[in-house]
Amino acid sequence: MPSADATFDLTPVAAPPSKRRGRRRTIGVLVVLALAVLGLLSQGLLHSLNYFETIDQAMNSRARLGTETIRLEGVVEPHSIVRTSSGASFWMSGGGKEVLVHAHGSPPQLFQANIPVVVVGHFTSSTSDSFYGTQILVKHSASYIAAHPKRVQAPNGTVR
Amino acid sequence: MIKQLSQRLLGPVTLLLLALTFWLGLWVTPPDKVQGNLARLLYLHPAVAWVALYVSFGTATIASALYLWKRSRSLVMDRVAHCAMEVSTVFILLTLITGSIWGRPTWGVWWAWDARLTSTAILGVFTVAYLALRRANDDAELRARRSAVFAIIAAINVPIVHFSVDWWKTLHQGATVFTQDGNLLVHGIMLWTLFISLVAFTLLFFWLLRARYRLDVLRGERDQASLEEALVQRRREGVH
Repeated sequence: MPSADATFDLTPVAAPPSKRRGRRRTIGVLVVLALAVLGLLSQGLLHSLNYFETIDQAMNSRARLGTETIRLEGVVEPHSIVRTSSGASFWMSGGGKEVLVHAHGSPPQLFQANIPVVVVGHFTSSTSDSFYGTQILVKHSASYIAAHPKRVQAPNGTVR
Repeated sequence: MIKQLSQRLLGPVTLLLLALTFWLGLWVTPPDKVQGNLARLLYLHPAVAWVALYVSFGTATIASALYLWKRSRSLVMDRVAHCAMEVSTVFILLTLITGSIWGRPTWGVWWAWDARLTSTAILGVFTVAYLALRRANDDAELRARRSAVFAIIAAINVPIVHFSVDWWKTLHQGATVFTQDGNLLVHGIMLWTLFISLVAFTLLFFWLLRARYRLDVLRGERDQASLEEALVQRRREGVH
């Protein structure tokens, strides 16, 4: 009986590289990637790369903005928040200017005086200082300070 | 000797530091003046993002560059880049998830199309595309070369993500820990816990990378053994 090695050439050989198929797949991946990135960028750009306008910027271009929907950023003035049945009214300041906001809907839990907020909405007219908001977003700072730094812990574990 | 010891200690030290982070973060650190207990996510989200953007994506980029550099060209570097990118994908996903969980109660929304969030999402798409690109090529050399070039091009997005909060007006907060003037923004034990979390998650990355690399090596060895076994069987069939 002849040996197998004498009859068949069983030396392992590398498969011929399927370059064309690989190239086609690569192009497919890159096309899908480009579409995904363009989709994300268009969302980001459509909703503006700069997420909001500051109050002084918006006030300076109020005539151009008219009643167009924008995102307006400013700090909530202390003692100005009035809770209403439909939401809240408050004064918001920034760059030395102030705007009276009438916001519809419930504000986020961190909403309070002296906190920076971004309000989605529009001026009630192209000459008005009054802003109608449909959504309030709280723009918290990067500063982290203990809530009660002077509190001490008693030996029994209670905080005083 | 030192290498063996560090490899053996990597897992236990990582677990110890992670446990320390969670203990400090949940029980020892005080609530924040503005955010209250929500600020405890400070010990999770920034550390996860740090690993996703800088440590893992950085490792993948450096390994890719070393692969392309003729003097150090080896498939080991390609394998390191691949494993690091896989871990990066997971951490970018975790960054987006933990960010959303933090965003909902603080901002009031799960997601905002601001520059920081959008550029991070694009980075996530890049890591998935890198992994898809690897599967698209059967030839090992070609796959390694194309993946390395792609990783280096995708890395351009990392500084964009980092500086997005300075270049554009974003809902996302500015740089954590230090202001641009070098002033500290996080105080007392909150700062120390943040630093411990950064170290813990960095070690977790290297632990995961090592495990993933070993798995890849074992998978390669298994494939090679299967091929040899198949050849032996074919030879036997030829004899009969």
